[in-house]
Amino acid sequence: MTTLLHRAERTARQEGLAAGLAAALSALSERPALSGRGAAAAAPGPWAALPARDMPPGARVRTHPLADREEIVFVACPGPRPAGTPEQAEAARLIAAVRLGIVRRLLDEAVEHLSERTAGDEPLIRKQLITGAVADIIAEVELLREHALTGDDDPEALADLHNRLDDLGWQVAKLFGASGYIADHPARALYVSALVANVWTDRQQGGQAA
Amino acid sequence: MTELDARLRAVRDHAREAAEDLRARALSIDAEPHAMEQHLDSPAFAMIRESALPEEYRSASPAPALAGGDDPAGRGSCLESMVGVLELFRGDVGALLACPSPALAGVFVALLGDEEQKKRFYERVRTGRTWAFFAMTEPGRGSDATAMETRLERDGQGGWLLHGTKRYIGNGARGGIGVVFARTGPSPLHIRAALVELPASGWRAEPLDMVGLRGAALSEIRLDGVPVPGGMLLGEHLPATRRGIWGAVQTFNNMRMQVAAAAVGTAQAMAEYIARHRPGTPGTRRAVARAEAARSLVYEAAARIDRNPDRGYLSSAAKLGATRMAVETAHWAAAALGPAGLLDHPLLEKWTRDVCAFEFMDGTGNIQRLHVARGYQSGDADGR
Ligand SMILES: Cc1cc2nc3c(=O)[nH]c(=O)nc-3n(C[C@H](O)[C@H](O)[C@H](O)COP(=O)(O)OP(=O)(O)OC[C@H]3O[C@@H](n4cnc5c(N)ncnc54)[C@H](O)[C@@H]3O)c2cc1C
Repeated sequence: MTTLLHRAERTARQEGLAAGLAAALSALSERPALSGRGAAAAAPGPWAALPARDMPPGARVRTHPLADREEIVFVACPGPRPAGTPEQAEAARLIAAVRLGIVRRLLDEAVEHLSERTAGDEPLIRKQLITGAVADIIAEVELLREHALTGDDDPEALADLHNRLDDLGWQVAKLFGASGYIADHPARALYVSALVANVWTDRQQGGQAA
Repeated sequence: MTELDARLRAVRDHAREAAEDLRARALSIDAEPHAMEQHLDSPAFAMIRESALPEEYRSASPAPALAGGDDPAGRGSCLESMVGVLELFRGDVGALLACPSPALAGVFVALLGDEEQKKRFYERVRTGRTWAFFAMTEPGRGSDATAMETRLERDGQGGWLLHGTKRYIGNGARGGIGVVFARTGPSPLHIRAALVELPASGWRAEPLDMVGLRGAALSEIRLDGVPVPGGMLLGEHLPATRRGIWGAVQTFNNMRMQVAAAAVGTAQAMAEYIARHRPGTPGTRRAVARAEAARSLVYEAAARIDRNPDRGYLSSAAKLGATRMAVETAHWAAAALGPAGLLDHPLLEKWTRDVCAFEFMDGTGNIQRLHVARGYQSGDADGR
């Protein structure tokens, strides 16, 4: 499992969200319980988020303008959904690894952006409020990676992991200012990865975040 | 805690009706922010526009107490305007910002415009068919606006020519009239605002495709020698210190409260949505209580601005806290809907994108942090 999580994170960081998701779902679909049915069989809700290139032919699909640009589609999963299965717990961990990879990818980009952008005569990256934010983000990445690796299958713990990833992604998005709020900006992957996690995780009972 | 008297409660109740109209248009405006023709005769839009016009430019009697009072633009006190606008934001923030109205530019023109400039501006926007823009931010200069690079150059005949690029400007590509900031020289006092009426040569504007708050129709504007007649620089009749940045700061003090109100209104809408669609969800009462607390702080900060318009400490604290609360509420609400809930509940999905905008508008979170810390250190936290 450790290797699979590392691979999903690394792929997302190096190649982006759709590639990271493909790596995660391909690992998931190897589970014996899903044999031959594809990763979408483990989806906890009525839709599964898949890389567009892996969409099964003839599947009923829903799209989203931002997800489209990340080449991710939502495929219908009809019928009653399984609840609390080990495959769903593994999916939650793998998707968390993908989200960590996206956070790393965009944090690198934000730091580069803020090193070039100045306020007064100083690059923004030297402002202490920003240094503090960058440090908090990367420390949280280290912690949440361990959470994904070592946590048990308890739904509340996995919900907490993704709730914290929602916040972590937002902390990174803020660093770009309004530029990261343009639909064509790479920071879009942070918004779409939250949408992907919303589809792949069941957090109804762990909804203690607010 | 600020108690609402009967008059303020009437303002709130009147706005609630208009909020329903905004809500009904929310998803269509988000999907196609530039297809506005079908919305322009909305009764809510008429109410919003009329209440932001000075009395002599209104075509109908204003909503009870949403207008009136002694503000130069004819609006009531800051508290009064917050009570009304917060309800409208609870309808839908994107739809409200899509309304053709004087908006931010109106606050600035009311402060710095002479009679001729006000006439030009209000005659255009009173029709309900003209959007107004307020162009400050540039691609290279956001929070550090006083370092803006857009220039006003003399044309040799008593007028000016505008050169530069503005970005993230609400209504930029669909606007008919508005304010553009630029510098005539190196110091902050050289930053001036021009009233620009379109069409104008050298003006090229394109819409930006945004993640959320798409009703605001953000745009990029290229200014390649846009002519500005000599009489169209705002604040010429005022002392040099009150011409450019001073007016912008006053305008932002007002606008920051609006953004805080937008955060509160949207958070309330999300909490109510979950209470209706997922009754019994853990965390609902907490989300409602947090939004209520933020609303109370917004009212308190507004009342404080009415007493002392130059002290922005509490309005910064309100914007900072309300924005954070709204984003946290959005994350909670998204999770509360259950797996794929965001796909099956597009209005909530839209709000989870919209709330992110508040972080960037009228001073980012970090800029508010700097204001709050400075205010605290100069004793404002003890100055209730
Ligand atoms: C929905 C929306 C509507 C808008 N409407 C308008 C409009 O109508 N007219 C207009 O002129 N502009 C408008 N803007 C632009 C807005 O004013 C800018 O986004 C804002 O000023 C921040 O600038 P920036 O985005 O370039 O971020 P930057 O200033 O580049 O900030 C990047 C990051 O650095 C941080 N930062 C910046 N300076 C400091 C500092 N000194 N210390 C610590 N941290 C710092 C920020 O908090 C942020 O995290 C709008 C933006 C949005 C999203």
